[in-house]
Amino acid sequence: MKRMRNLAISIPSLIVMVSGAMAADITSARTGANSEIVSMRRLTEAEYRNSIADIFGTEIEVRGRFEPMIRVGGLQAASTSVLSVTPVGFESFTKLADSIATQATEEKYRAKLPCVPKSAKAPDDACTPQVLSHFGRMLYRRPLTEDELQSAVNLSHALAESQNDFYAGLRYGLASLLQAPDFVFRMETAVPAGNKQWVLDSYSRATRLSYLMWDSTPDAELLQAAEKGDLNTAAGLEKQVDRLISSPRLDVGMRAFFNDMLELDNFDTVSKDSILYPKWSPSIAASAKEETLRTVIDLALHSNGDMRDLMTTRKTFLNRNLAADYQLPFQFTGEWMPYEFEPDSGRSGVLTQASMLAMFSHPGRSSPTKRGVAVMDIFLCEPTPAPPANVDFSVVNDTSGPLKTVRERLMAHANNSTCASCHNHSDPIGLSLEGFDTIGQRRSMENGQLIDLTATIQGRKFVGAAGLGQFLHENPKYPLCLARKVYAYSRGVNSEDVPASAFKAAYQAFANSGFRMRSLLKSMVEDKDYFSATPPSSESNSSAPNVADQ
Amino acid sequence: MKIDRRSLLRGTCQGALAVMGLPFLDCFLDSKGEALAATGKPLPTRFNTFFFGLGLTSQLWIPKTGGKDWEMTSQLKPLEAYRAKLNVFSGLRVPLDDNPNHQHWSGAAAAATGISPAKVNEFDSKTIDQQIADVISRGTRFKSISASCAGDPKQSLSSLGGANTIPAEASPLALYTRLFGPGFQDPTKGDWKPDPQTLIQQSVLSAVADNRKRVMQNLGPADRARMDQYFTSVREAELRLAAELQRPEIQANVTIPPAPAEMVCNNALPNLRKATPLMAQLGALALATDQTRVFNLSVSEPTSQIFMPGDSLAYHNTTHEEPIDPVLGYQPRVAQYNVDSMELFAMLLKELDAVPEGDGTVLDHSLVFAFTDQSFAKIHAVDGLPIFVAGSASGRMKTGCHVPGDGSPVSRVGLTIQNAMGVSLDVWGKGSMEVRQPYTDLLA
Repeated sequence: MKRMRNLAISIPSLIVMVSGAMAADITSARTGANSEIVSMRRLTEAEYRNSIADIFGTEIEVRGRFEPMIRVGGLQAASTSVLSVTPVGFESFTKLADSIATQATEEKYRAKLPCVPKSAKAPDDACTPQVLSHFGRMLYRRPLTEDELQSAVNLSHALAESQNDFYAGLRYGLASLLQAPDFVFRMETAVPAGNKQWVLDSYSRATRLSYLMWDSTPDAELLQAAEKGDLNTAAGLEKQVDRLISSPRLDVGMRAFFNDMLELDNFDTVSKDSILYPKWSPSIAASAKEETLRTVIDLALHSNGDMRDLMTTRKTFLNRNLAADYQLPFQFTGEWMPYEFEPDSGRSGVLTQASMLAMFSHPGRSSPTKRGVAVMDIFLCEPTPAPPANVDFSVVNDTSGPLKTVRERLMAHANNSTCASCHNHSDPIGLSLEGFDTIGQRRSMENGQLIDLTATIQGRKFVGAAGLGQFLHENPKYPLCLARKVYAYSRGVNSEDVPASAFKAAYQAFANSGFRMRSLLKSMVEDKDYFSATPPSSESNSSAPNVADQ
Repeated sequence: MKIDRRSLLRGTCQGALAVMGLPFLDCFLDSKGEALAATGKPLPTRFNTFFFGLGLTSQLWIPKTGGKDWEMTSQLKPLEAYRAKLNVFSGLRVPLDDNPNHQHWSGAAAAATGISPAKVNEFDSKTIDQQIADVISRGTRFKSISASCAGDPKQSLSSLGGANTIPAEASPLALYTRLFGPGFQDPTKGDWKPDPQTLIQQSVLSAVADNRKRVMQNLGPADRARMDQYFTSVREAELRLAAELQRPEIQANVTIPPAPAEMVCNNALPNLRKATPLMAQLGALALATDQTRVFNLSVSEPTSQIFMPGDSLAYHNTTHEEPIDPVLGYQPRVAQYNVDSMELFAMLLKELDAVPEGDGTVLDHSLVFAFTDQSFAKIHAVDGLPIFVAGSASGRMKTGCHVPGDGSPVSRVGLTIQNAMGVSLDVWGKGSMEVRQPYTDLLA
């Protein structure tokens, strides 16, 4: 199928197709000028790496760095729709493109190319377009237009000629595709579907599904389904969704999601006080992050468990580094082993894993406020506003005074009604986790006083992390928040802006299944509105150059 | 003396003319009438920023008197060696107008843009270094370089506006590789020649840039702006390649050292004390070899997470939680961290001043704008933000002064800097921070 966007020629056919607007016609309608880019997401580092591995093979090395992201509504994914590519970012993209294209045209890789040139020392205008359209379709997640292909072929031809080297020409043609905006951004294209409704075209559907489920570019079968228009029918969509969900590659996609939702990327820059906590090391940090991801993937996918158990489970995975951190004996000879904490360990789900406890602490001490705010934000979708600018915190700190424990010092906030309005929400959560220090080790004393782990939220009393875990397990806000975050993550939007109605059906199916992750994913992407798009504003319509071009 | 196209393009004359009303040719001489470089081309004037979080302690840093003969204060002591090359600004106002005081953000953003920010962690315009880079960086490989001594690429106060922060190099090795790794041709060596690969890469970029017209279609306004930024970045890469085909004219007698070792870069003060001079030195070399003319160094994010090992509270929390000592009248542990910040600042000045070129040093041919997020971090105050400007911008800025508060908004320093840098500008900042009057006494 040819995809043409700047195209005076296709106007007559477009009118016919749009007025048809049957599901099967949507793929054809997208070829018309009456399509709009409704979302443009910069690839994340993981998406980029996974895509290159899938397109060119895992033997291609991706050596470079990626621009940092920011968190919007609790998710980095939402920032991919907001951020652009700075000069520093492009400098990296262009270097990566050249390095990948160089590797992909090296001698040892050439057997993988779809054709052999007549001569390795001259341009070949039959083979070059074959190679470039083959990789171009995978890189752009749709077929190249004739113009796009021609531009890359021309570049290859000219450089093959000047270098007397077919593969050199090919290298630069490929490099031009690898740094094009159509690769580094995931573009979602919408087409009219009648009744003023707009929907994603089938390639954009394939792309959204693939990056959600596998954190990578659509594979051959999914692209083919897009090409045939299968993703525009309920049955065709379900077939592909079931295939994606039942694949072990779902692990990769869900790791990416939970890494984002649990804010584990922050862990890369967490530093701990080496005098107070000499045990802490970058390898413990890396292990702690991996422990959490293994726990959540095991629960969500391998055991097909109830996602609420993430708050309470004592099951985890340990390696030697973590055993040291948790002060446990480690006899296993392999790298990672499943482990279940003792019932009296005080541990409760991810809440008490070293990753979360250490990430939301200061370098040298725990922070009930940071922990409480994080739990509210990450698991309950209740972000805490910034504290008022002019507050005297002195009393909170003075450990030499009469207030020995953090609890006593925090309670001082209660005297200030401005502070209390927020601290009353987050502090009880954090205080119940005070049985663990800044690197996640269990403790019972602070500055010579026994730590009080009782907490009261919304009139409910509980004790310690296990009590908190149970409270969250039973709190419907937690699975609702999880569903909201998956939805926002997959669409690249601010979770706070998502109306509850957008994922209502998905949440219902999630609840009905006993909070199984796969049910949530499946019902979400098969919802009739999942691929609907906000119609482009009249402003952008009127200013769009394609109108003028007509 | 030759008036070449390059000097004109840099806007040196226009800027100086607009502000000073100097006779046309005088702008090619510095204030002392120093002779130009041997080749007839003036040395480029460079711009640096230095960011340190959480401000200083007003009782301990503000000199008692204004003008040249200010008495050294305890917190500025680390800068003693450079006082003749330094201007100290106290008592600057940061009116936020209708925007909230975004903690640890409003002050920093105001200093960097002259605009009270509407949103936290977003700038309402390009930051000052980028505004200046637009004018002075033509012909260098890198329009600007940012580096984070604490090892976090997000710790950059250099931005294209909004949330589009220019990522920082996060270790001495990363900074070295970017500057002096692949693509670098050492202009201090006799065998300099352009890399033939550069021409090929130019044609690849040209093909990428040709996508512009097609891709800009069918985009809504927000995405169109983002796509425009992408193609601006492509353009900058093209300019980098063009610069790599020209041997930079340099006058500094420097040697590019071998690559530094990998090291731990984080918020621990002892590590910062190791990374900062290394990164400052690399920045100075990059300026001396004209790889870039804009170098931004930060030692922390605005809410500084710097800590001294053994201090479980760390810098930021100490500012909020340490009681004010009733006898001293200030927070003694905070005051120590303040001095630590100034020591880190002095490390940058030291490295810039250690590279001789022409009739002075790289520092003499630079301006360094040092700023922070709070004046009194304990209560998130922004009025009275400590601001420093070092270097004489090749003689265009008079130095050695303490400029005490006269009610001017912080943006007045920004306007003065841009005028000294030759940026043609007669108004800078927005709202109550819109200023038209630079510190003319400081402009030579």
